[in-house]
Amino acid sequence: MRVYRDDQKFLTFRINALLWAIVVIFVFLAGSFWFVQGVQAEKYRGMSEANALREVVTPAKRGLILDRTGQKIIADNQAAYSLTLDRVVMRPIVKSDKSHRPKLIAFLAQTLGTMPQDIEARFEKSKAVPLARPFVVAEDLSMPQVAMIQAQAVTFPELNVEPVQRRNYPYGTFAAHVLGFLGEVSEKELGTHKELKQGDLIGKRGVELMYDPFLRGKDGAQYWEYDSHGRRLAEYRPARKSPVAGDNVYLTIDFDLQRRAEQYFAENEFVGSAIALDPRNGEILAMVSSPAFNPNTYSKRFTPEVWKTIVSNPFKIELNRAIQGLYSPGSVFKTVMAAAGLAEGAIGPGTTFDCGGSGVFFGRRFRCWQKNGHGAVSVERALKVSCDIFFYNTAARLGVDKIAQHAKGLGFGAITQIDLDGEKAGVVPSTEWAATKQHRKWYPSETISVGIGQGPLIVTPLQVAVMMAAIANGGTIYRPHVLRAVEHTDPDGSVKRSIVPPIVLRHEKLGSDAIDHVHNGLWKVVNEEGGTGGNARINGLDIAGKTGTVQVIAQSGWFSTAGLPFMSRDHAWFASYAPSGNPQMVVVVFVEHAGAHGGTDAAPLAKLLYQSAFSQEVAAHLDLTDPALLEKIKQGQIPVPGQEPKQQASPADASLGH
Amino acid sequence: MPRIRAFTLPDLNFLGTALVLSAIGLTLIYSATYFNDPGLAIVHKQILWMAIGLALMSVFLVIDYHVLFDAAPILYVVGLVLLAYLLLWGRLTANVKSWIHIGGFQFQPSEFMKIFTVLMMARFFDRHSGAYMNLRLFAQAMGIIAVPVVLIFFQPDFGTAATFFPLVAVTMYFGGIRWRIWLIAILAVLLALPLGWTMLKPYQKDRIITFVNPDRDPLGRGYQVTQAKIAIGSGGIHGKGFKQGTQAKLEYLPARHTDFIFAVLGEEWGFIGVMIVLGLYLFLIVQALTFAKHARDRGGTYLAICLISFFIFHVLINVSMQIGVLPTTGIPLPLLSYGGSSTMMFLMAIGLMLNVDMRRFVNA
Repeated sequence: MRVYRDDQKFLTFRINALLWAIVVIFVFLAGSFWFVQGVQAEKYRGMSEANALREVVTPAKRGLILDRTGQKIIADNQAAYSLTLDRVVMRPIVKSDKSHRPKLIAFLAQTLGTMPQDIEARFEKSKAVPLARPFVVAEDLSMPQVAMIQAQAVTFPELNVEPVQRRNYPYGTFAAHVLGFLGEVSEKELGTHKELKQGDLIGKRGVELMYDPFLRGKDGAQYWEYDSHGRRLAEYRPARKSPVAGDNVYLTIDFDLQRRAEQYFAENEFVGSAIALDPRNGEILAMVSSPAFNPNTYSKRFTPEVWKTIVSNPFKIELNRAIQGLYSPGSVFKTVMAAAGLAEGAIGPGTTFDCGGSGVFFGRRFRCWQKNGHGAVSVERALKVSCDIFFYNTAARLGVDKIAQHAKGLGFGAITQIDLDGEKAGVVPSTEWAATKQHRKWYPSETISVGIGQGPLIVTPLQVAVMMAAIANGGTIYRPHVLRAVEHTDPDGSVKRSIVPPIVLRHEKLGSDAIDHVHNGLWKVVNEEGGTGGNARINGLDIAGKTGTVQVIAQSGWFSTAGLPFMSRDHAWFASYAPSGNPQMVVVVFVEHAGAHGGTDAAPLAKLLYQSAFSQEVAAHLDLTDPALLEKIKQGQIPVPGQEPKQQASPADASLGH
Repeated sequence: MPRIRAFTLPDLNFLGTALVLSAIGLTLIYSATYFNDPGLAIVHKQILWMAIGLALMSVFLVIDYHVLFDAAPILYVVGLVLLAYLLLWGRLTANVKSWIHIGGFQFQPSEFMKIFTVLMMARFFDRHSGAYMNLRLFAQAMGIIAVPVVLIFFQPDFGTAATFFPLVAVTMYFGGIRWRIWLIAILAVLLALPLGWTMLKPYQKDRIITFVNPDRDPLGRGYQVTQAKIAIGSGGIHGKGFKQGTQAKLEYLPARHTDFIFAVLGEEWGFIGVMIVLGLYLFLIVQALTFAKHARDRGGTYLAICLISFFIFHVLINVSMQIGVLPTTGIPLPLLSYGGSSTMMFLMAIGLMLNVDMRRFVNA
């Protein structure tokens, strides 16, 4: 125990000195408050009640979204008018004049063409908005409405017509799933984005969400003086803060390719997806998900009716089928099987299997789609004619775990890391997957189904595109992306552009000899007589690809499902790249419930896109948002450039291949 | 009069004052937020912080502070490890790595570090008696303060780092240093000032410039103080009444439930309310300094002084900035302002000061 010694008196003295110093400071503070609250109270009361400065937000212009060349603006801002009501102004008027409020409601109902109850409901809802912030009564006023309101400015000083910037997508549904849409900021987002206020719009999906921090910009502010009746007097200019516009975002999307692909789906009324991708850097040149929504619908605060039409659409229009749709890859997966088999030595370039139309594996009989059999087939021919028996044998030799290893290596079973939200990973089955995820044993006979892309294996169209790109470029997996560049303009007017560099995720060892045989096989699919992808053939351009057809209902042997009800029809795939010697573009087309096979419904779009990309012909721009024009196109009255007249799929065509 | 007691009651006047201040804070927070926080989430959170704070207070009240002195080095090192962890792996929240996130909650270890540092300081003074310190002892005392301050400084959270300043003042004033050391300290500060200025963020520089020359930009950066003054001044003698403050409700007044809660008090409760709250703070300070004088040993004296120095520092700076006597800083008002870490820290400090008082009898 330590007790005080000589220093005790020092300490006591110092404590007392501090005590008196603090008492003096408190007296000084009390005096200051007396000065402010006693002597100057009237002055400050006047400032508080009569002469207040209020902050009025000037919204920042959201950045533009442009195509890869910067020639087409695919999202901009449109001037629109909103009607706001300032309750600080309204309060004293309502207090002194009891008839003011009913008059105001009647006027608003008449001008806006709604029922007085709706206006009352809007007033009720506004109670959650802080008093000082004017609340939005109506958006998108017409010019006559603006005139009517301004004519009554003296009677209703609480009403203001505010010019606002509304997000506008001039091409309607164009690239809707890539662009995404805006929506009112949620409670959760308010928690993470401190700079936002209730009622602000924020990117909710797609590029609008992913690059929101670039696009959003920074709101400015003005400070206005108000009088005792709450009337706005004059702006205090020195305090003004200018808004900072958001950065412009350049996408990797090629306008013409995207438009062409969307036209194809619209004309044929197909549901599905198409992707064009540059295998040299992972840039997405086109990404279609059909049917699409119109992002302009989302730029306004929703009315319940609009919301109902969106959620009740049976085709789930908000789903981006390219990255969120999970499907069996079907015969397209034979590309992976061929590469895996050759790389592992399970098959060689000269290995042949005899296809007699069916074969028995692990005690079960598996059929080839070609009932009469293909005879002796090598790997290149197996790809060309899409022989099932060959790949059943390859699968049996590899085993499911080796297949899974190569499938994962080529990008299946994991997200591709594209810069869009909500991407799905899919499933690559293996013995481990069966044990951990399904709590069951893997049966060897299931491996046989996986060999032709059936069974539990499910993939997204984008994963197929990434796989095809890796096959095309010799095994490099790029991170697919839709952002090409961000353009930032400094306050002094100088423009800085940051370009997104290609990102290599990994290299998959394929073996140069082995991959050559896969390339040859895929080339034959399109370019040799009897190949299943002949519909994609273009003279003068070497296209390589693989067709696929996915059964939706169980059936013995294959037959055309074109006449069956929509949900029972087969899915069609076509995955390809060109030119085969020096691949510059990968095209994957997927048509849900097409009825016909990949060669008939999916391959022609690939052909269109290659024509558009590699021929010098100028693409015609047809406005698909015009329903009259769309009807004419469907009836064949307006020819679509680069496309042959539409043919009906005949049963003979249907047996061509898969 | 030596009396043997198994248990001494804590000073109920002191405890009661602290509780009354907390309750006043809660009503002000309610009044400042209820209109745009319909779920009263902020009020509910503050009640939760106060409950946790009271629990921590009881812990720091019940355990004899001599036991805490023994544990001080461990607590101090644990605190330093947390700060170092934040610096290396912390998540950026509002550009600062000063928050630890546990579940849905977050807290600032730097606030707890204040308590741990104070325990280390009191333990240090307990060991070294004498009216004056030599240079070596002074350097040691400064070292105890400097290590956490440097870690916090690089988070970078200058505001919180600056709130360790009272400990430096306590060391220099109560520790007792010779004029030579005063000279060195003043020279060091003068040398550090220009360096510190370059490390300030632009908005921090603006605040100081606005303070020195308020006319430079009366409505831009001085906006907060102007609005706070309007709020306080318009409250007059009697105030506008509970929930009647228009400055706050019209959102003229920024940070009204945190740093500018005193302006809400001034507006709604008037000069009378301001005097009551200032009186309560003054009572708290006088009482704590009395605890310090009557403490059983040097350690107890310094513990009470270090802890009340935080109160003095926060109250004087926060109240002064409300009417523009000092520049705007992010320093909360003890027990009144909304905020988890500071509420808990100040309640723990109250517990520790009561602890010193309860154990003042030598034979207890």
